[in-house]
Amino acid sequence: MAELIHTATFTAETEQPKPETPLREAWRIFQKDRLALSGLVVLGLLVAMAVAGKVLTEWIIIFDPATVRLPDKFLPPFSAVSADLIPALNHPLFGIYLLGTDELGRDVFARMLQGSFVSLSIGFIAVGISVTIGIILGGLSGFYGSVKLGFISVDTLIMRFTDIMLCFPTFFLILTVVALLPPSIYNIMIVIGLTSWMATARFVRAEFLALREQDFVVAALALGLPESRIIFRHMVPNAIAPVLVSATIGVAGAILTESGLSFLGFGVQPPDATWGNILANGRGFIFDAPWLFFIPGVAIFVVVLAFNLVGEGLREALNPRLRNR
Amino acid sequence: MNLKRALILTPLVLIAFLLQSYFWVPSYEKQSVGNPARLQTYIEGSIADAKILNPILNADGASSHIVDFVFDGLLDMDENLNLRGRLATDWTITEKAYLLARPQFALPDSSLATGTRLIELVSLARADGRLSALDSMLLSTRLLPAGEKTETITLLEPDEQGRPKPTAIEVTIRIPQRIEFTLNTVDQDLFKRLTPLLGRAYFQDFPYTDHFVVAGPDSLEKVQPQFPALLPVAEHNPIILFHLRPDVRFHDGHPFDAGDVKFTYEAIMNPRNISPRTSDYEPIKSVEILDPYTVQVTYKRLYSPAINAWTMGILPEHLLNAQVLEEEMNARGLSDATRANFGMRDSDFNRHPIGAGPFRFVEWQGDEFIHLNRNEDYWERIPEYENYYFRVIPELLTQEIEFKSGAIDSYGVQPHQVARYKQDTSYQSFSSSGFGYSYIGYNNRNPLFSDKRVRRALGMAINVDEIITYLLYGEGEQITGPYPRQTEWYDSAIKPLSYDPDGAQRLLKEVGWQRNNDGWLEKDGQLFEFNLTTNNGNLIRSNIMTIAQDAWKKIGVRCNTQVFEWAVFLKDFINTGSFDAVVLGWSMGIDPDLYQIFHSSQAGPQQLNFVGYTSPEADDLIVRIREEYDHDRQRALAHRLHRVIAEDQPYTFLYVGLATRVLDKKIVLVEKEPDGDERYEKIYPTKSGSISFYFNKWRKLDRLELTPDF
Amino acid sequence: MWTFLFRAILQRLVLLVLISMIAFSIVHLAPGEPSEVDPNNPRMKPEDIARIRAAFHLDEPLYLQYTYWLRDLATGELKSFKDSQPVLPKIWQRFLNSLPLFICATLIVWSLSFPTGIQAAIQRGSPFDRTTTFVAYALISIPGFFLSYLAIQWVVDVFNVPVIGMRTFGMENAQPVFRWMDRLWHLVVPSLMSAIAGIAILSRYVRSQMLEVVRQDYVRTARAKGLPEDAVIYRHALRNALLPFVTMFGFLLPGLIGGSVIFEQIFAWPGLGRLGYEAILARDFPVILTINFVAATLTLVGTLFSDILYAVVDPRIRLQ
Repeated sequence: MAELIHTATFTAETEQPKPETPLREAWRIFQKDRLALSGLVVLGLLVAMAVAGKVLTEWIIIFDPATVRLPDKFLPPFSAVSADLIPALNHPLFGIYLLGTDELGRDVFARMLQGSFVSLSIGFIAVGISVTIGIILGGLSGFYGSVKLGFISVDTLIMRFTDIMLCFPTFFLILTVVALLPPSIYNIMIVIGLTSWMATARFVRAEFLALREQDFVVAALALGLPESRIIFRHMVPNAIAPVLVSATIGVAGAILTESGLSFLGFGVQPPDATWGNILANGRGFIFDAPWLFFIPGVAIFVVVLAFNLVGEGLREALNPRLRNR
Repeated sequence: MNLKRALILTPLVLIAFLLQSYFWVPSYEKQSVGNPARLQTYIEGSIADAKILNPILNADGASSHIVDFVFDGLLDMDENLNLRGRLATDWTITEKAYLLARPQFALPDSSLATGTRLIELVSLARADGRLSALDSMLLSTRLLPAGEKTETITLLEPDEQGRPKPTAIEVTIRIPQRIEFTLNTVDQDLFKRLTPLLGRAYFQDFPYTDHFVVAGPDSLEKVQPQFPALLPVAEHNPIILFHLRPDVRFHDGHPFDAGDVKFTYEAIMNPRNISPRTSDYEPIKSVEILDPYTVQVTYKRLYSPAINAWTMGILPEHLLNAQVLEEEMNARGLSDATRANFGMRDSDFNRHPIGAGPFRFVEWQGDEFIHLNRNEDYWERIPEYENYYFRVIPELLTQEIEFKSGAIDSYGVQPHQVARYKQDTSYQSFSSSGFGYSYIGYNNRNPLFSDKRVRRALGMAINVDEIITYLLYGEGEQITGPYPRQTEWYDSAIKPLSYDPDGAQRLLKEVGWQRNNDGWLEKDGQLFEFNLTTNNGNLIRSNIMTIAQDAWKKIGVRCNTQVFEWAVFLKDFINTGSFDAVVLGWSMGIDPDLYQIFHSSQAGPQQLNFVGYTSPEADDLIVRIREEYDHDRQRALAHRLHRVIAEDQPYTFLYVGLATRVLDKKIVLVEKEPDGDERYEKIYPTKSGSISFYFNKWRKLDRLELTPDF
Repeated sequence: MWTFLFRAILQRLVLLVLISMIAFSIVHLAPGEPSEVDPNNPRMKPEDIARIRAAFHLDEPLYLQYTYWLRDLATGELKSFKDSQPVLPKIWQRFLNSLPLFICATLIVWSLSFPTGIQAAIQRGSPFDRTTTFVAYALISIPGFFLSYLAIQWVVDVFNVPVIGMRTFGMENAQPVFRWMDRLWHLVVPSLMSAIAGIAILSRYVRSQMLEVVRQDYVRTARAKGLPEDAVIYRHALRNALLPFVTMFGFLLPGLIGGSVIFEQIFAWPGLGRLGYEAILARDFPVILTINFVAATLTLVGTLFSDILYAVVDPRIRLQ
C-alpha cells in the first residue's frame, strides 16, 4: 500500500506538465495581447525596412534619396516621372514615385527608407546608452551602496547625482546641449542617452536592493562566488524585466524626442534623413504637398505606437504580480 | 457615491467651461472686415521679436523695423534711392583740406617749404593757370599757426588667451604750421594737383618722430605705425552742413533741435554704450552746433558713404543725458559695481522709446507684440492707420494660417506661398528686387580653389535658372557681381556664367583634373573632394546646398554637405577661415563700398573677407570708390570693380531674392488732392524694392468692392 | 521634524550649487559666442567686439564669471546679453504668461485621468479598458507638433476663430468679460494639446495603481463585508491608491519650463520655454543659466514638498 501510494504520488508528479520557464510563460501571456502582438509585427516589419533601407539606398542604390529632379518637385504619391524632363539615369524604380516627391523632386519613398534606418538607430543607440548607464549606476548603487568613499557612501553619491540630473528639465537640457554642440547625429544619440538613464538607474537599484536580500543571492555570497558572477549571472537577469520594458518605451521616446528637436531645427541635419526632419521640413508645405507632412507623421505615429504597445505588453507579461489573474 | 459623481462631473464641467469661451471670441470675419476699429489697425507678423528699441544700439531686423516707425533721421532714401531730407531740410557738402609745412624740405624750385612759401606757391600757380582746375572749387587758402595737442589712443593687444584687449596710450603731437584750403566741394585729387609744385617726395618720409612725444619707449614702438594717421601730411576734411527742420517735436512734446543731433553722435561714440554703429561715425572729426537749427559735421578723411549714416534715427537728449541716467540708477537702487558700467544700453528707454517719427510707442510685451500709435503731431502727413501692432509668431506655418484668416495683415511670405497667393483674387502681391543676394563662397586660400578657372568651372556646373524657377518659384533674379541689381553700381552689361557642365569639365581638365575609374575627378592621386557648409534653419540655403552637391557630382566633383547652427558655423568655420566652401548670403546697403567684404586687408580671422579674396586691382578700385564724392565717377569705378570681381569669381554669385509681399486687396494707397478730395491708388514697390515706402498713406477699405479695379 | 527640514534644505542647497556649476560649465564651454558678439555684423570692428566681451566679462576666467553671475543673481542686477534688461523681471513676466497655460493643462490632465484610469482598472480587460489603453498609447505616440498643426488647421477651418497667441488683437475696447473669455479661449487649444501626453500617462498610472490596490487584503475584506462595489472602490481602494500621486505634485512644477517649448513655439505663446529657447539661440548665457537655476530650484522645492506631504498623508512614514 505504502509502495502503491508512493508510486502514485510519483506518477502524479511525473504526469504534471513541466514547469514553464519564466520566459515561455511571459511569451504565452504576451501572445494573448493582440495589440502588443500586432505592435511586434509592425516592429519586425520596421526592422526589415530599416535594414533594407540601409542596403538599398546606400550600398546597392536602387532607391536614390539624394537625386535632385527639380522639374518633378511636389508630385503626389504614385505619380509617374516626367520622362521628357528628367534624364533616364535619374528615373526612380519603374518610373513611379511611390510616395511622391519633395520640394527638390527627391523621391520621398527613398528618403523614408533611408530615414527609417537613421531614426531607428537613434532610438536604439540612445536607449542602449541610457540603459547601460542606468544598469551600471543603479547596480553599483544597489550592490555596493553601503561602501563608504571617505565620508559619503556610494549609494548617496550616485543617488544624489541622479537627483541632480533629474533636476534639469530634460527636453530643455537636451535642447541646450544639442544646440551648443555641433549637430552630428552621434551627438544627438549620446545626448538623448545621457539624459534619460535616471529612471532605469533608480529601479535597477531598487531591484538590486531587493535581490540582495533574496535567499539565492545570500547563498551565493555565502558560498564565496565571485561578485561579478553573482551580479551578472544571478542579479542582472532577474532585474532585466523592468529594464526591458522601459527600454522598449524609451526607444519610442527617443524617436519622438528627435522629431521634436528637428521641429526646433536642432535635430539630425541633412544630408542624413530621419523621419523627424522629413516631417519638420514638410510642415512648411502642408498646403502645397500634404503628403510631405502626413507620410512621415503617420509613420512616426505607427512606429512609436508599436513600440509603446509592445512595451505595455511586455510589462503585463513580465510583471509577476499581475500574472495569473 | 458622491466621490464617484464628483470625479466624473469635474472634468465635464471643466471642459464645458473651457469650451463655452468659444462663443465670446470674435470670428475671423469679424476681425478682418466690417469692424471699424480693426480697419484702423495694421497688424504685422514677424518670426522674431525686437531686441532693443534704440536707433544707435539695435542691430537686428525686427528692432530696426520698429525703430524706423518711432524715430526719424536727418535724412532717408526717397523712392529713387536718392537721399532726401527728413529732420534736416537740406544740406551742403564742402571741404577743408590741410597740408603740413615742412620748413626743412627743399621744394622742386629748391626753396624751403615754409608755410608762407607754400601759400605763395599756390597763389602763383593759380595766377599763371597751372591750377586752373581748382578755380571753380578753391575758395581760400590761409596759414594756420603751429600748435600742440594731446590724444589718447586705444590699441588692441592680445591678452594671455590671445584675445584682443584694449589698452590706452597718451600721445602728444606737435603740429607744425599748416595750410588750410577751403573748397566749395570735395576734391579727391586736390593734393595730386599740387604734386607738380611740391614734388612727389613731399608726401613721403615725413620726420614723424620729431613731432611726437609718447610716454615710455615701449609704447613708442607700438604707436609708431599710427603716426601717419595721427598727423597726416595732407588731410581732407569733408564737411556737411545740415539745416534742421524747425517745429518738430518728440512724442513727449519736447522740441527737437541741433543739440539732439550732437547728443546722438556723442552717444554713439561713448564707449560705455557699446554702439554697433561706431564704425559708421568713426570718420567724424567733430559735430558743431552753429545755431539751434544748423549743425556742421566735419570728417577726418574722405569717405563718401559716411553721409548715409545720418539716415539713423535721432535720440531725444533730454531723456537720455547723463543726469537722467543718473536718476534712473538711483531709482533702481543699483549697486556700485553695476553703476560703473551703466550705459544707455541698460536704460529703460530702450523698452519705452520716444522719438520724433510717424508712430509713437505704446506697449511692448516680450515675444508677443509691440503696439504703436500714430503720431498726431507728425510734421509730415499723419499716417492713415491709427494703430500698428508688431506680432511675434515664431512659426511660418501658423503665420500663414493667421494671415489667411485675416488676423494679421502682412508677414514675411515665402516664395512657395506667393505662388499660391498669386492665384487668389483677394490678395495683391508684389515682387521687386531686394538687397540680399545668395552665393557659394570658396575659400580662396585653399589650393583646391586658388585657380580662378576652378571657381568658374564650379559655377558653370550649377544651373541657376533652375534654382530660380523651381526653388524660388521665379522670385529671384540671377546676378553676376556683388551689388544689388537695382542700384546703379550694378553693371547690367556683364554676362552671367552660362550653365555649361561640359565646359566646366573642359576647364577642370585644363587645370589637370582627370576622371578616375569611379568617375570622380583626380589630380596627382588626389580626389577633388571638399565640404560645402551652411547654417541650419534656412531651408532654401540647405536646398541650394543639395542642388550644388548633385550638380557637382555630375561633373565628377565630390562634395560633402554639412549644416551647422549659426553660432557654431561662425565660430568654427567662418571666423577661423577653416572651411572649403559655404552657401551664404549678403544683405547689402545702397552705398557702393565693398571694403569690408572684398578688400585684401580684411581677410584676417573674424573679418568679413573670410573667403580670402585678394586682387590688387580690386583693392585699388575699392579704396577709390569710397573716397570719391562725385556720383558719376563713382558709378564708373563701381562698374569696373564689378567686372573685376565677376572675372575672378571669388564666389559663385547665385541670385538676388525678390522682396515679395502679399497684402489683402482691400489695402490701398490714399492720395489726398490739395482740395481735400481723396483718390485711391494701387500700392506699388519703389526702387528700393520696398512697398512700405508710402506706408503712412495706406488704408484698409471696408469691403473688397470698394477697391477700384487697378 | 525640524532637524529633518534643516537637513533636507541644506542638502538641497548644496545640490543647487552643484547643479548651477555643472550648467555653467556646460554652457560656457560649448562652442559659439553670444550673438551680440557676432563678428559677422559688418558694422562691428574688433575693438567693438573686445569691448562687448569685456562688458560681459567673457574675457575673464570661468570661476570669476561664475561668481559674477552668482553675485548679480543675488543682487537682482543680472542682465541679459541680448537686450541688457534685468533677467529676473523678464523671467517673472514669462512665468506669469506660462502659468495659466500650465494650470489649465494640469487641471485637464488630473481631472480627466482619474475617472478614466479608475474605470479602466475596475473593468480590467473590458472593451472600455482596451479602448482607453489603445487611445492612451496612441495619444502619446503622436509627435506633439504634428497633432497641434492638425488641430489648429481644423479649428481654424471649421470654427473660424483664432487659436494662435494669447489674445485677439483689436479688442482693447471690448467689455472686460469678452476680453477675459477671449483669453480663456486662447488657452483651450494649446493647453489641450500639451495636456494630451499627460492624460495618457497619468491615466495609465492611475489604472495600474488601482489594480495594485484592489488586490490588497483590506479591499478583499471590504468586499467580503458585503459593501457595495462603488464604496469598496471609491472609499477604500482609491484613498490608498492616491498616496503615490501626492509625490507627483512635487514633480509638476519643473514641467512649467521643460515640456512647453514646442507648444509655445507653435501657438506663439510668450512663455518661459520660449524665453529659454530664444536664449539658447542667442547664446544669452545669463538667461539660460537663470532659467535652469529656477527650474532646478522648483524641482528641489517640489521634492521637498512631496517628501513632507507624503509624511503627512502616510502615517507609516516619519520624518527623521
